[in-house]
Amino acid sequence: MFFRPKVRVEDFEATAMVHFPALYRTARLLAQETAEAEDLVQEVYLEAWKSFHRFEAGTNCRAWLFKILFHRLHHFRRRWAKAAKVEAFDKPEDQESIAAEPPVPQEIHDEDVLGALEKVPAEFREVVLLADVQEFSYKEVADTLKLPLGTVMSRLSRGRKLLRRELAEIASSYGIKSAKDQASTGESA
Amino acid sequence: MNVLNFDSRQCEGIHRHLDAYLSNELLVETTSEILRHLETCEACTRELETRTRVRDLLRRAATSQIPPEELRLSIERRLRETQPGAWGGSRQLNWAVALAGIVVIVLGGIVAHEWVRVLRGRKIVAGVLALGVADHVQCAIKGHNYPEVANPPEVLRKKLGPQYAGLLEVVQQNLPGFEVLEAHICSIPGSSRKYVHFITRGRGTILSVILTKKDGARLPSGGAFRSVVAGHVNLYEAHQQGMNVAGFESRGYLGFVVSDLETNTTLQIADQLVPPLNAALQEIS
Repeated sequence: MFFRPKVRVEDFEATAMVHFPALYRTARLLAQETAEAEDLVQEVYLEAWKSFHRFEAGTNCRAWLFKILFHRLHHFRRRWAKAAKVEAFDKPEDQESIAAEPPVPQEIHDEDVLGALEKVPAEFREVVLLADVQEFSYKEVADTLKLPLGTVMSRLSRGRKLLRRELAEIASSYGIKSAKDQASTGESA
Repeated sequence: MNVLNFDSRQCEGIHRHLDAYLSNELLVETTSEILRHLETCEACTRELETRTRVRDLLRRAATSQIPPEELRLSIERRLRETQPGAWGGSRQLNWAVALAGIVVIVLGGIVAHEWVRVLRGRKIVAGVLALGVADHVQCAIKGHNYPEVANPPEVLRKKLGPQYAGLLEVVQQNLPGFEVLEAHICSIPGSSRKYVHFITRGRGTILSVILTKKDGARLPSGGAFRSVVAGHVNLYEAHQQGMNVAGFESRGYLGFVVSDLETNTTLQIADQLVPPLNAALQEIS
């Protein structure tokens, strides 16, 4: 078609702006700075708005917006060039070290969790956020990140283990005992 | 409760599925198998609880952040400023695209019109030149209406009649290397159109010079159709029925030089003959 149907900004806002909190939170947990996250979200919405005529009403707008978000994010990330490398965690010894399944303490604050998440390399962090926080299916994550399904599964598994290890370390530095330790202490008492 | 060891082979198998179980990505059968195992295995149950707790902690922490309202307002403001046009770009871009589209359409129309005009003109040229070729083939080639020894000039003048007798000398003088064998006025059977027909021989072949009244037929003007200009007269050429024909338009008459000589040779012969012949025809008209 040479001409496209006219789209109304009110329709776009009603369809897309409801996902603003989820997009912002995800962007904030993946960007280096708050300002970068804000730029990112703004660009996502402007890009989505420009191509809103191609969006089919009734389809998954949230998945569409997240796809744009990660497309832009990867573009930004190349610019930032600060993200941790995946290769460093593909070595067998790293897998061994995180396969220890460290326990996680009961009492831990949101800031600690976010601090631990920040230490998880971005490639794993984004899969964990999409699957565990945004509750996308493996297939939706694969579509959003343009990754094979097997890669999504392995990155999710590794990301969860890394997060758990970081949480255990943070808790340990605070002198917080894990639930298992607490249980064993209780038993010995 | 029957507690299995954490390191048991069965537990290892269950552990491999716990991530997918947690994400609700397992088949019903596998999920049932895990649930059955969890009923009897305290270690795996504890492991699943820990993983679930980590996920819940992350979910809670990740959703605790409050998105800035100013950002939302800023985005909504920019959305209204960048209302996509018919092609999705700015208004200036849309106008530029529209203008470019119009220019393309207009230019395309001109080119198409010119192309149709050329095709139509060539068809007209071919149709007019076919008259000369038909007379040459019918009268000179198939009809062989010429003697082996040239008729004397006075006989030819008589056959041409007083109106066209004077043309014999013009043709004879301006066709070097050719001898006029026959000259007469004839017509193709079934057609009322009459031709002044000079049948000549030279360069090992028969060449006809044919003149006929226009009777409304016209050759199109324009450089796209003519081959050369002889004096002030446009020459048109075509190849039909194995013959090459050079045609021209004089006042009231159409003229043709037809032979099976090469195109360029036929044109060269016509180039020399046509200007004086045109002048003589002007006087007759």
